[in-house]
Amino acid sequence: MHEDGMATSSNGGDGYFLRAEGITKIYSDGTAALKEATLEIHRREIIGLLGENGAGKTTLTKILSGLLPPTKGRVISPRGPVRFSSPREALDFGIGMVHQHFALVGTFTATENVALSHERPFSRIRLEQTKERLEALMAESGLRVPLDVPVSQLAVGEQQRVEILKVLSRDVDLLILDEPTSVLTPLEVDELFALLRRLRDDGRSIILITHKLKEVRSVTDRIVVLRQGELVGDVRTRDTTTEELARLMVGRTIDERSDAVELSDEEIPMHREARRAAEDRNVLHVEDLVVRGDGGEIAVNGVSFDVRSGEIFGIAGVEGNGQSELVEALTGLRPAVSGTATIRGTNILGVDPRAIYRLGVAHIPEDRWKLGLVLPFTLAENAILGIHRWDEFRGPLSFLRWGRINRHVRKLIDRFEIQATGPSAPARSLSGGNQQKLIVGRELAKDPAIIVASQPTRGLDIGAAKYIRDLLSEMRENGRAILLVSADLDEVLARADRIAIMYEGTFMAIRTPEELDRETIGLLMGGVTAKEAA
Amino acid sequence: MSDRTAPLPSRLLRGAHRTLTGLHPALESLLAGVVGLLIGAALMYIWGYNPWRAYIALFRGAYGGSYEWASSIARGTPLVLTALTFSICLRAGMFNIGAEGQMYMGAIASVSIALFALPDGLHMITGLVFAAFAGAAWSLVPAFLKLTRGVHEVISTIMFNWIGRWLALYLAIYVLVDPARAEKTLSIPVGARFPVLVRGTDLSYSVFLAVAVAMVVYFVLWHTAVGYEVRAAGLNPTAARYGGIRNKRTMFLSFILGGMAAGLAGAAIVMGLPPTYAIFGGGAMPQLTNIGFDGMAVAMVGRNHPIGILLAALFFGGLNAGGRVMQFYGSNPVPLEMVRVVMGAIVLTMSIPELIRLFPAIRSQGERFIGLWKRAVERSRRRSA
Repeated sequence: MHEDGMATSSNGGDGYFLRAEGITKIYSDGTAALKEATLEIHRREIIGLLGENGAGKTTLTKILSGLLPPTKGRVISPRGPVRFSSPREALDFGIGMVHQHFALVGTFTATENVALSHERPFSRIRLEQTKERLEALMAESGLRVPLDVPVSQLAVGEQQRVEILKVLSRDVDLLILDEPTSVLTPLEVDELFALLRRLRDDGRSIILITHKLKEVRSVTDRIVVLRQGELVGDVRTRDTTTEELARLMVGRTIDERSDAVELSDEEIPMHREARRAAEDRNVLHVEDLVVRGDGGEIAVNGVSFDVRSGEIFGIAGVEGNGQSELVEALTGLRPAVSGTATIRGTNILGVDPRAIYRLGVAHIPEDRWKLGLVLPFTLAENAILGIHRWDEFRGPLSFLRWGRINRHVRKLIDRFEIQATGPSAPARSLSGGNQQKLIVGRELAKDPAIIVASQPTRGLDIGAAKYIRDLLSEMRENGRAILLVSADLDEVLARADRIAIMYEGTFMAIRTPEELDRETIGLLMGGVTAKEAA
Repeated sequence: MSDRTAPLPSRLLRGAHRTLTGLHPALESLLAGVVGLLIGAALMYIWGYNPWRAYIALFRGAYGGSYEWASSIARGTPLVLTALTFSICLRAGMFNIGAEGQMYMGAIASVSIALFALPDGLHMITGLVFAAFAGAAWSLVPAFLKLTRGVHEVISTIMFNWIGRWLALYLAIYVLVDPARAEKTLSIPVGARFPVLVRGTDLSYSVFLAVAVAMVVYFVLWHTAVGYEVRAAGLNPTAARYGGIRNKRTMFLSFILGGMAAGLAGAAIVMGLPPTYAIFGGGAMPQLTNIGFDGMAVAMVGRNHPIGILLAALFFGGLNAGGRVMQFYGSNPVPLEMVRVVMGAIVLTMSIPELIRLFPAIRSQGERFIGLWKRAVERSRRRSA
């Protein structure tokens, strides 16, 4: 036990256990992740922290658990201000976090993993004592986990329980869980929620980060909604409705968007007509596609859709609902379990990426650094990734035609306004926006029939984001088919002709933007169908 | 090169691995060399030698005249080839520790041409082809094991080094043995030998083979689509896959190329290093031993770039050649082993930045102690003020 924890627990009647006051967080690149957020955490309550991607949920909890210092504002307990310089200090104070990605050593047993988390430099590891303590803790909390089996042999839900046990073994008063249900089966979710309720009744506070409306309503006492860094709602669960939550979460009306398409009324019908002429030309056809995720779980569960030339088909939804796996299956990076996917009649499932590109596919990947670029490579080297075997760039004996490649890159630099010193600058030296412009430029230069753009504007400043969105719109006017996958709802609403909303591997609905209002979208993104809500 | 406006030195070392000290890679290598020599000097001092005089002897022996230069280059020649083996595979993202074994197989294969007669030029080319083929074959087994069974290449290539060594020794003693002199194998026929380049020295035309292979490697890696794929797969396999590159293919290819270079290193020693032109089986193959491992040190100092490797091989060749002079130098005979200590110190110095990269904990602990130290200094200053 630790003195801080003792002191605060005797102070339980003071109204709150922890209070975050006017927290503002501005990252070094200038993005404001949190704006003046104030939140009180009481004892014996489960708080749901609800919001879209990038709303600031993770930032707020990271500040509470000592992983990040706030730019402005403070965290206070009834005993005065608290400041953590490391997660370990936060743990000592009684705040523990269970992350979405577990930090477990697979070959170690649960006991060993917990012992490891208690270890300090040169401390002795006492496995027997740890085990006794864990057994006592399990009896007390009702949480059961095999202690002597390597955790890699445990189911995901059990691994999560090991993580929770790890945090509980540090006598925490506040337990923060980041999207804990995203990896669990429905049965495991029920078990988790039962456990959370028991922990609450024992006097602990729990913060549950989630985007799932049904879940947040079933288990929490209070729901705090964040939107674009602002705390827009703090409501008692029993006094609220799913509709209200959806509205709070999605918020802005479509007119308020900062960068809606700038087309005057006269222009729109003309474009629409021009497009309609090409519309019946199906480019991508997907039917009953099933794809597994990295953990072997079904990530895409029977999705069917078409993308036609001259249209932007948007896929909206909170990240992690199968969008990445869908895109990877369509671009040759991940095998499919079943279903069909064709480009103009040619099968693309289980086919090499190179062969898929040859069919006229351009792929703007969601992860610039992992997939899109070889960072130590130069601009020129990156600009030919995937097209380096084209005759334009490759001469006899497989020799690369650097002269032509450099000319091509200079054209890309001019055409796509890439700020760089020249073709031989390393891609690493470019800013995020310019790196993305390089990728987009490379992909558009393929003269594609279909562009698969996955989170194309994530992390970019407003100017670069608008530039890339405009390019996609321009490509649509040129008669290309575009599959736009984005967690940025405004982006999809502003640019897509048809929108599919993805939730847990399936499309909740495919609609035109006109048919969707923000409440419906919020409900669909949270896994509630229109019928259920009614 | 992709951009002709960049200054020559940076063009030559473009793509060399990024350094952590923030120094230019060539400068960092130079620094490591200096630190290695200083550590060697400290050890010599402790054991009662005069480091200054020893190093003068060493460098005179290495670069003091045309004979010495020729001798240093001759010693560096096989190192260039084994260094390329390591570098090609590292560029492809793998640690091929197997240059030693591949080099033994190359040496034995080139000796085998003494068993039959051919016209001179053809005989020599046959020897080189045999050696390259044997080296590639020896590296293919670990590559195959990795691709099909997931066996880590470090483990398998190290094991294959030993199999290669004992197999080569067996063949040298029992199969290719010289009937007249049981301690050595048959000698390479005169017509198939690399002619001596500088009369009176052991520098032969084999140096051109090494330089040519280095140039070929350079062009393949930086000027062909295949080399581009190898480098992309080595730096970011995920992005390479996205770019339609078949990583298994590049892996195989880099092992084949690397094995060929190592095999040629064996041939360069047996066919191009006077006066023996044979393997001394009875002496447990002294002229071959460690050429593969030293090549890894050369590759490291040469920053895995063909041009850097040529320079680094000249330095290591000089250390080997000069070391022999150092041990006989008048009143201050420093044992030859000291040269190996210096080499070891250089390799260790070179690997410190890499170690820090691999183990961030070391860095954070180091920074913590620096922080504690600074705070303590500040406190004492305040107290005295």
